[in-house]
Amino acid sequence: MRLYEYEAKKVFQAMGIPVPKQYGVVHSLKDLEGVDLKFPLMLKAMVLVGGRGKAGGIKKIKNLAEAKSVAKGLLSMKIKGYSVETILVEECLEEKAACYIGATMDPSSFNNVVIVSASGGVDIEEVAKSQPEAIIKEELEGNDRELHPEVAGRLALKLAEGLGASSLADGLSSIISSLYATYQKYDAKVCEVNPLLVTEKGPVAVDAKLVLDDNALYRHADLFKMLGLSDRRHDVAEPTRNEQRAMAAGFPYVDLLQEDAKKDPEKLYVGIVPGGAGYGIFSIDEVANVGRKYFDGKVVPVNFMDSGGGPPQGRVAEMFHLLMDYPIVDVLITSRFGGISSCDVFIRGLVQCLQERHEKKQRVLPIYGRMVGTDLPSAHAFLEKARSDMPEILKDLHMIIGNQKIMAEVIREGLEEAFKARRASR
Amino acid sequence: MKRLPAQKGMLHYLVSKVRPDIGRTIEKTGVIETIVVGLGAQGTRHAGLMQEFGTNVTAGIAPGRGGTRIHETVPVYDTVKDCLEEYPNIVAASIWRHYSTARDATVEVIESGIPLVLLITEGIPLRDVRDILVAARRKKTLLLGGNTPGVIFPPEGIKIGMLPNVFYPEETSPGVFGPHGVTIVSRSGAILYHMSDALASAGIAQNAVLGIGGDGAIGSTFQDLIPLVMGYKNTELVVLAGEIGGSMEETLAQNIEKNRHLYPKPLVAIISGRHAPEGKTMGHAGAIVSPGQAYGTFESKKAALERAGVDVVNSQYELIDVVGSKLKGKKYFQTERYYEKMRETWEAKPKKRGWGTLITKVAPNTLMVSGYLLQDLIEKASFLETAHLLIKGELPDKQVLEEHRRRAFEASQIEAPVFSWSDSDDISKTLASFLLLDEHVAKFPQAGKDGPVQKAVFAIGRFARYLARRLGTESALNGADADEPFSAIVSRAISGNNIVDPHYARMLEAMIVASVDHGVTPPSAQATIIAASTRAAYEVAVAHGIGAITDVHGGAGAKAAEFFRRCTAESRQEGISIDEATRSLMSEYVKAGRRIEGMGHRIHTDDPRRDTLWKLARECEVAGDSVAVSKIAGAVFEQVKGISLPINVDGVIGSIVADMGLGSSVAKALFVYGRLAGLSAHYFEEIATQPQMRRINFAEAVYRGKELRTFPRGR
Repeated sequence: MRLYEYEAKKVFQAMGIPVPKQYGVVHSLKDLEGVDLKFPLMLKAMVLVGGRGKAGGIKKIKNLAEAKSVAKGLLSMKIKGYSVETILVEECLEEKAACYIGATMDPSSFNNVVIVSASGGVDIEEVAKSQPEAIIKEELEGNDRELHPEVAGRLALKLAEGLGASSLADGLSSIISSLYATYQKYDAKVCEVNPLLVTEKGPVAVDAKLVLDDNALYRHADLFKMLGLSDRRHDVAEPTRNEQRAMAAGFPYVDLLQEDAKKDPEKLYVGIVPGGAGYGIFSIDEVANVGRKYFDGKVVPVNFMDSGGGPPQGRVAEMFHLLMDYPIVDVLITSRFGGISSCDVFIRGLVQCLQERHEKKQRVLPIYGRMVGTDLPSAHAFLEKARSDMPEILKDLHMIIGNQKIMAEVIREGLEEAFKARRASR
Repeated sequence: MKRLPAQKGMLHYLVSKVRPDIGRTIEKTGVIETIVVGLGAQGTRHAGLMQEFGTNVTAGIAPGRGGTRIHETVPVYDTVKDCLEEYPNIVAASIWRHYSTARDATVEVIESGIPLVLLITEGIPLRDVRDILVAARRKKTLLLGGNTPGVIFPPEGIKIGMLPNVFYPEETSPGVFGPHGVTIVSRSGAILYHMSDALASAGIAQNAVLGIGGDGAIGSTFQDLIPLVMGYKNTELVVLAGEIGGSMEETLAQNIEKNRHLYPKPLVAIISGRHAPEGKTMGHAGAIVSPGQAYGTFESKKAALERAGVDVVNSQYELIDVVGSKLKGKKYFQTERYYEKMRETWEAKPKKRGWGTLITKVAPNTLMVSGYLLQDLIEKASFLETAHLLIKGELPDKQVLEEHRRRAFEASQIEAPVFSWSDSDDISKTLASFLLLDEHVAKFPQAGKDGPVQKAVFAIGRFARYLARRLGTESALNGADADEPFSAIVSRAISGNNIVDPHYARMLEAMIVASVDHGVTPPSAQATIIAASTRAAYEVAVAHGIGAITDVHGGAGAKAAEFFRRCTAESRQEGISIDEATRSLMSEYVKAGRRIEGMGHRIHTDDPRRDTLWKLARECEVAGDSVAVSKIAGAVFEQVKGISLPINVDGVIGSIVADMGLGSSVAKALFVYGRLAGLSAHYFEEIATQPQMRRINFAEAVYRGKELRTFPRGR
């Protein structure tokens, strides 16, 4: 979970990292009236993505009139798809120099790393690429909760030298230690100050980035309380309608198309109910690959879904409902293969969905799939009976029982049928 | 199915690399022992599935549950250390704890020195994972996961974790497994099935499948594992299944470029997530393309691996093509064999696991306590020995038996609880009441390894006192000597005679041993087990069982004794032969529609206890006219009614009791006394092996105890 800058700064301040004075956090122009303003000041758009500065989301303000007009502009702005709903109003500091400090986990060794650079205030990934010598990195073998003073001192000294003022070393050392302690204490994935401004009064964290480990949120009730948050926040990007619906039903789902994507009538749009997460990712590729290889690339997978782990019948039904309610979808591909999930529960959920749609006269899409795994005999028997009881309702369900064909083949045949049906209907 | 011996398989190879000493042990024993850490629903279930597949699940670890068992047979320890004291050669541990407690549990396993650890738990906080990794590096543990589906070695028939049985090994001839094939190393579990399905459809075997885990930080990466598995001589190609997110594939590519010699075999990478959007987590915590990062995308992984000379594929078709051509079209088995297996696997009726007992095997004409035939116990073992066997599964040694004797003696010398009963009360009711009211039994501790058997022995001693109080024989019991065998104590309590005749005592003891247990289905055992399932106290649950012994259940001996007494009296009074007297009385009973007790059995046609008791009655010189009636009763009944209904053990005991000149109710008292031991065993088994308040289907119980063995000595 990402924290907003003003939230991260609250945490930093509590951990002993100096931050600029916050005059207020506002959500509207009216809010701004209640804030005690001292000019010049900064107005900063609060969104959970980087690159706000470049996008014009951070402004230095000299007077009230400017504050109002800029605030109005910011509140109607979208930055990389995120609408700005909150503005941080804070002290504007005179800078002498800017640098970078951060703590994170190395993605290949899984060790903690502390990174400092005298080149602050710009994209650190860019710095790493263009002038790697400007990045000072310390990889830590252990997983101590506090940074060893020697390491902090060494990094601080290098950073101070880079900034051309060795006298800053002591102050930097303490901030680096606090940053690392924050990273560990709050289970951060990324804990970063960029830029750390060197001012008359010493270094101050002008920006703050804190990304928390979702898996560890359960043990940070104290942090939620400090920030006045009642629940974890869905971040990264705003969920789409389908994603919200899936979330409410309790299964992971990701839309691959923009919400307002236009349908190309030449193409076949494929919804996928795949099984576990791993095959969920892979099946998207498989559908696209089969499309490329056999159908001139006219096949568009529309979603990721994790339908593994033994979902109950009602949830299975909802997985199919969701995709059949999604107007862009033409055909569904499904696979059940594995040890934990029951084929029986799966097929009952699928049939339930078809029955419900039939009763409510909702759109039913053809489904092509394969079913192998736990409880296959009872699933098979159920399906046979359902077919003879309600052939009309199940006429669009094309399910292969057993693994005489690999899934790629099932997908290819399913798509071929779907294209054939389309040609026939035109 | 002929499996590859464990010594020749990949698992043994991997373990030998990490811990040569344990590798050598496996070479000697041919056994790879594993433990399951965390016995929630998942851990317990998969412990059973692993066993079914063929894995040796030696023990389970769950704090606070030490001394209990899962699946009735797998012992549970509080700590890994406790387990290793009993089983020092544990090779691998799978960890199923909740993410909030997985760190401590995993570090404990690692510190204990177990060389291979599969961390199944998903979603452990990264900071905790780093603590685990620090420990694993220090101890040089081979750690897979978190969020690994586990590992499976199809040729050896060993799996550790949750992978289903869908993989297919090399077959050198149908049903004989060979070690060669492709090794798959994957970040995802679900994808493994589809990859192996694709390969198997082309006749390509998997000699090992390793899930390395889908979480954001894991114990072993591709570059840790792939060189390792390539070192196994029978691996002919490695498939790595990677996905978007993280930099593991890129790091591997760099490593390959730097250390080509570590990668001597063909490597094919299947990478998924080519069409994944940025910034959205795809189910696995690790599977996310982070905006602005130079690594973690399909393209970055593909480019890096191809630069290192690795073929990268993105579909099942491609995988089959590339792997097939690298192996020059080699087939490891007939594909129809694979489809056949899968058909069998998927179409198999779901196995009802039922539940198990290790105490007594009951089959027609066979009764076996923990592997020993009951007739042998009747003839050769004492009551206290049999009680020990029922509860512990093994016979006690001399010293322990002497401790039991002394404990039972001392218990018999303590006053009985005070309450009043009526002589018309069923003797089982009086005995159950004594037990319920007895604070000495209630207070007797039952914790620890020997707590249960000691408590049961104490109760057995107390029972002699209850009997004496009810039968009015306390003065004989009070005259007991501290060094007397326990059978003498029992004899005093039942006969009221201060002078103990060893023959007489032996006969009584034999009848008690004959009554100790009849599995979990008799109503008394059911009553005790149901009470135990609610975790009622020992004395409460056992009293429930004893209370269920009535004229209907367990009372046949007393009724039979009366019948035999009437037969012999009639023969004497009328001056007719025993045979005639029996026939005439039986005809009378049959005409009047009265039941003749002690005849027939719902399971046994030839009760195994019967002949031994007759034999002992002769040897102990107690057999008289009633025993003679009992021997002809079956034949006479058949002549009278035309139905073959042989005499049963109750009938035989009734006849012996009658001939010993004891009151008919003594027959029931002996039955109750014997069952006290059996009910105690069922009580302790239930609380140690079953979840509380379970739904119990008694007909579903299966004997899972020791197989038939020879009683080690004579009387």
